[in-house]
Amino acid sequence: MREPVVVSGAILSVAGLSAGYVGEDVIYDIGFEVDEGEAVTIIGSNGAGKSTLFRAIMSMLTPSAGTVRFDGSDITGLATHRIARLGLAYVPAERHLFPQMSVTENLLLGAFPDRPDPAIQDSVFDVFPRLAERKTQDAGTLSGGEQQMLAVGRALMSKPSLLLLDEPTTGLAPLLAAEAYKALARLRDDGLTLVVAEQQVPLALELASRGYVIDHGRFGLSGPSEELAGNPEVQRAYLGVA
Amino acid sequence: MKSALLDGIVLGLQYGLLGVGLTLIYGLTGVLNLAHGQIAVLGAVVVSLLMGTGLPAVPAILAGLAVSGAVLLALDLSVMRVVYRQEGETRILLGLLLMLGVGFMIDGFLAWRYPIEQLGLRIGGDPISILGVRMSTGSLLASAITIVTGLVLVAFFRLTSLGRGVRSVIQDEMGARLCGVNPAFVRTFVFGLSGVLAGLVAVTRSMTGPIGANNTISFTVLALIVAVVGGLGSVSGAFLAGVLLGVVDRLSSFYIGTYITTIILLVCAALTIVAKPSGLLGRPST
Amino acid sequence: MTAVDERSGRVGPSVGAARVVGQRLAPYLPILVAAALLALIPLRYRDSGSLMGVATEGMLFAAYAVAFNIIFGSTGQLFLCVGALAGVGGFASAIISDRVGLPLLVSIVLAALCSAAIGGLLSWVSVKRALDTIFIGIVTLAFSLSFQNFVLGRRDLTGGETGIFVEAGSDTLLHDRVSPYYVFLALVVGYLVLYRTLQRSRVGWAFRALRDDQLAAELSGVDVSRYRVFAGTLGSAMLGLAGALQAHSGRGFIGPSTYAFGDVDVRVLVMLAFGGIGTLLGPVIGAASLTWLDELLVDYAQLRLVLYGAVIVVLFLGFRRGIVPAITDYVRTRIRR
Repeated sequence: MREPVVVSGAILSVAGLSAGYVGEDVIYDIGFEVDEGEAVTIIGSNGAGKSTLFRAIMSMLTPSAGTVRFDGSDITGLATHRIARLGLAYVPAERHLFPQMSVTENLLLGAFPDRPDPAIQDSVFDVFPRLAERKTQDAGTLSGGEQQMLAVGRALMSKPSLLLLDEPTTGLAPLLAAEAYKALARLRDDGLTLVVAEQQVPLALELASRGYVIDHGRFGLSGPSEELAGNPEVQRAYLGVA
Repeated sequence: MKSALLDGIVLGLQYGLLGVGLTLIYGLTGVLNLAHGQIAVLGAVVVSLLMGTGLPAVPAILAGLAVSGAVLLALDLSVMRVVYRQEGETRILLGLLLMLGVGFMIDGFLAWRYPIEQLGLRIGGDPISILGVRMSTGSLLASAITIVTGLVLVAFFRLTSLGRGVRSVIQDEMGARLCGVNPAFVRTFVFGLSGVLAGLVAVTRSMTGPIGANNTISFTVLALIVAVVGGLGSVSGAFLAGVLLGVVDRLSSFYIGTYITTIILLVCAALTIVAKPSGLLGRPST
Repeated sequence: MTAVDERSGRVGPSVGAARVVGQRLAPYLPILVAAALLALIPLRYRDSGSLMGVATEGMLFAAYAVAFNIIFGSTGQLFLCVGALAGVGGFASAIISDRVGLPLLVSIVLAALCSAAIGGLLSWVSVKRALDTIFIGIVTLAFSLSFQNFVLGRRDLTGGETGIFVEAGSDTLLHDRVSPYYVFLALVVGYLVLYRTLQRSRVGWAFRALRDDQLAAELSGVDVSRYRVFAGTLGSAMLGLAGALQAHSGRGFIGPSTYAFGDVDVRVLVMLAFGGIGTLLGPVIGAASLTWLDELLVDYAQLRLVLYGAVIVVLFLGFRRGIVPAITDYVRTRIRR
């Protein structure tokens, strides 16, 4: 509990969060806040605990300690589908699309249980024109890049007030990764609050205004993106600068 | 020949509906409902008992379907909770054995209390000629109800939010949760739906012949065969397999003889498993 | 065992040799004790033909349960065709002896081989196609029901619904009042010795490795599929043998319900679940308990199926490993205290 819990204007505030699998914690005492309209990145290498952190926030696993507050209310331990309905959308690295359903059906499910808003669907197609071309195709037949677009698009359909993205560039070629980040930047500019966990540190720091570094399940450095990009430790570990 | 074919399609549609109930529950939870036929017949027996008290057919049927649905729904909310806590093979084995036990309980109960109770809905009216084949009004009404139910089901799964929610849980439970779908609710709903469908099949079958306690196992077996051939977890596969097997059923009993028919159907199921375990339209198991 | 170990420093060479023999036989001691106890049962019931019949059937089912335990308990193959495999043995032996006219012993052996061939084939196919438990269950269930329909349909061979009286064996001790019980007891003891021997062999080690973790078993160089097929074949032969003996004993009558799924598989499953899957004496204890329970409820025969169902549900919900392991655990914790 580094920071005292204060009722702030933060849309997401995580305090003292520890969680893991089969009785063994993978992340320890994580605390951070995200304000509305912000884009924040959490950078760390493979296995540093990024996915575990997101899963703990979404109650996909039960935290051993700590609290998660979203939009002013405590959501710690709330069922995942309830959290999703509150407007906290999560795009996991594995995407979890519905492979035997069409692109449109996947998008419609994003709005569950509400009636899908055609205007939002149009805006998704506007950000990802490729999805509009593939409307009737089964999600399982899409390419990796298209699947990533669909995963993000599906999350957007619920009109989320916060979008958590876990390694949105997993399995994408560099060119496609850059394109994906261009789309994310557009969403950020439209006012969507974003938290992106990433190994592709240059892209992530460019998108986000500030970031946290997670290592072996603990938060270390944090600060504005330019500061992190200039930090010799970050440069050595994640930016490939010798 | 033509009449056997038409008969087969009528029968097959009902087989399909029987298989759908089984396949949905398996696709969703990994539980192979070996009490499916028992639940179906239980509903029919309730209808028969209620009609015996002088209740008109329609409310009696609705009550019977409600009982079939309620039994499965109650199972989901009680016994099956233990199954859902398990994973993989253990879950499948436990679900299968528990349902086998439940099936025996219903079987025993029916044989004990209502050994001779049978539902036979006689539908009046003269046979009607279709494509040159005279069909009884009973079998026409049964097909009509089955076809309408099938279409409603397809529309439900394609066009409604809840229907898509059910399919989403079958395909990727975690993805469904992230979309705000509550898998526990979907499960309970599908158990209830499956029970109602099972009861409905028993009721429509009773329009062409009496249905009673001695039909339970053959119903379960048929549902199993249809679901396996169609691909466990595939709704459209179940309907396709139902019609196919219905036609095979009628043709082989027309040309070869009845005792071989069941064997042929069983061999179809066994061969499907050995050749392509995912069935006609099922996706390969992950 | 611990008492022997403590004394080991003080034993002389001649006692040492006896000890080696003792150690060899120790694992079989529970079988000996069980056999001795079961051998006493006819002393009490020998005057009643019907009770001896019940007891003999209990032993038959114990034999089924031990055989099924080798297939399902040891290698996890859910064979839902215990009755059908026994029935193949029963009808084959009846046909071979009565119609073909071969000697009784020859026909029984041939019948057991028939069952072994079918069970082995089922096992081989499921291993070859890498079928999951559920698909093995469905395929074997399909075989079960096909066999049932065959029995009902081929009146010329099986007598259809009315069944047939088997001639062969009617002039042997299999038609006595008491001796069939001992024949089946001997069969059960033989099966138990076989089970224990298998358990203690390399095969048994493979079985256990398999049950714990198939991948680990494969990595350690155990040919998993070969042992599966072996267990499937052996267990089926055992079922066929028991079924064949059944056809020639008692009144010598076999009909469609003698080997039906609803009459045999259900009970064997309940017996095994009750006694404990994968334990030595579990199947026998399960068979004995259920036979006794059946006899208690003889006036409520229709309720029996309800009870079986309830027993399956309760057992798998509560004591998933069966009574024997539960009691063993309880005793162990008591002793430790």
